[in-house]
Amino acid sequence: MRLILFDRDREIRSRFHPLTLSRPIWDLRCGMTSLAEKLVAKVGARDIACFVPDYMAAACRAKTPWRVNDPAALKGDDLLLVDPRVKAEGFAVPAQGPSEVAVDEEGQVLYARVARKDLASLATDDLGKFLAAAHARLPNVTPNLPTWRWIWDLMQANSEQLVADFRAAGRHGIEGTVEQPTAILGDKRAVYVAPGARVHPMVVIDAEAGPVYLDEGVQVYPFSRVVGPCYVGRETVLLGAKCHEGNSIGPVCRIGGEIECSIIQGYTNKYHDGFLGHAYVGEWVNLGALTTNSDLKNDYSDVEVIMHGRLPIDTGSSKVGCFIGDHTKTSIGTFLNTGAYVGAMALIMATGKPIQKFIPSFAWLIEGVVTKGFGKKKLYETARMVMARRGCAWTEAEEAMWDAVFEMSKARRDELIKKGRMAMRKL
Amino acid sequence: MATVDERVRKVAARVLNVDPADIRPEHYFAVDLGAESVQSIELVAGFEEEFGIDMDEEEALAVETVGAAVEYITRVCREQGADIGE
Repeated sequence: MRLILFDRDREIRSRFHPLTLSRPIWDLRCGMTSLAEKLVAKVGARDIACFVPDYMAAACRAKTPWRVNDPAALKGDDLLLVDPRVKAEGFAVPAQGPSEVAVDEEGQVLYARVARKDLASLATDDLGKFLAAAHARLPNVTPNLPTWRWIWDLMQANSEQLVADFRAAGRHGIEGTVEQPTAILGDKRAVYVAPGARVHPMVVIDAEAGPVYLDEGVQVYPFSRVVGPCYVGRETVLLGAKCHEGNSIGPVCRIGGEIECSIIQGYTNKYHDGFLGHAYVGEWVNLGALTTNSDLKNDYSDVEVIMHGRLPIDTGSSKVGCFIGDHTKTSIGTFLNTGAYVGAMALIMATGKPIQKFIPSFAWLIEGVVTKGFGKKKLYETARMVMARRGCAWTEAEEAMWDAVFEMSKARRDELIKKGRMAMRKL
Repeated sequence: MATVDERVRKVAARVLNVDPADIRPEHYFAVDLGAESVQSIELVAGFEEEFGIDMDEEEALAVETVGAAVEYITRVCREQGADIGE
């Protein structure tokens, strides 16, 4: 049996922007692991392939051992094709069995189990046509499968998922170093310090309300308080951080200040003071000192997020912070509004007051207005330098992917740049 | 209609907070007029708005003097069909 994850629909993908501008939906984190890791574990698959938008295929190939956009993956074995929006915990479909296709209320295929004997009737090299044919010719079922609908769903489910993932990981105890005096509150079995991780003196690990998992090579500097549920990814450093409950922090981050109910994909710096709450932050982001986001409106009403640069979407929640795409940088003292959407490769200069709720990718926000700044080549130079500092390479494939993101985000950005020119005239 | 030179000096004066009469073609934006990096971005936005043109960021930011800006903007205006009273 071969598991195939597919993430090709542009509109659906946009519900997970800005994070999915540069990665497939299944690479998003919730709890301790990515959506892909959860689905693969649930299905128990070893042979895995995936289909992503063409513009990111080459970049994805460099990051995964799976076959990417390979039509041959649609042949030669029993197949289980799964939309990564399907929540692994609710996915109880046996990997093998008679062919069946599950479709959601929008007509999108959530999964297709295709027995090898039925493949001949679907033969095509195009995933979209394959799924359409499967939908049309194979038995349809309408299971009540829970799905991730919007990017903020991940952040809102994070605490619960952390608890479930800690349980599933089955590890606890101190395999790294915990220097004294350190206070561990709550059940010691709800704490795991991995080999190579080091908790410096004067740290509080509070596992009373949920587990704390410090992965390999993590450093927790003095005067940090880490409240569970919490996951800290490998080689991440907490610098005297007030790490409230519900955080998933990916690998190789530098985290200081105050952080609550947030997901950070990885390789991101939030070195200094400042509050990050109910947020999802991408990779290679740098939040300047005192960068702070609001995650609650003064009237406690539901937060709206401006997706696609135009459409305010009611999140149905009063606690929503910000969403920040890869490689974005904020200056010292940046204030992000409740439900702010900050695209990828953006550069924000503080204005002394909360900035607008939608910042397009590749925008340079100067004096509160969107400009084209020094352009994308300068941003690429910075990205190359930042990645090299952590031993990672900026590749041609990556640059080609970002060129595509630049074009995809151009129309709305250009509109705002035009408005920005007029606004700047009045300054 | 004001000349390109007058319009460039008007924008530069507004963004850099200097008297237009004190701006000369040989002046460097950074050294003589005190433009910081952020202000160079504002200058580009200001010129684009003033002339109704779209400038290439790299080309525009490579321009160092007021006189060179006048030449460059004149060329871009001609290429893009913007009205400069010619």
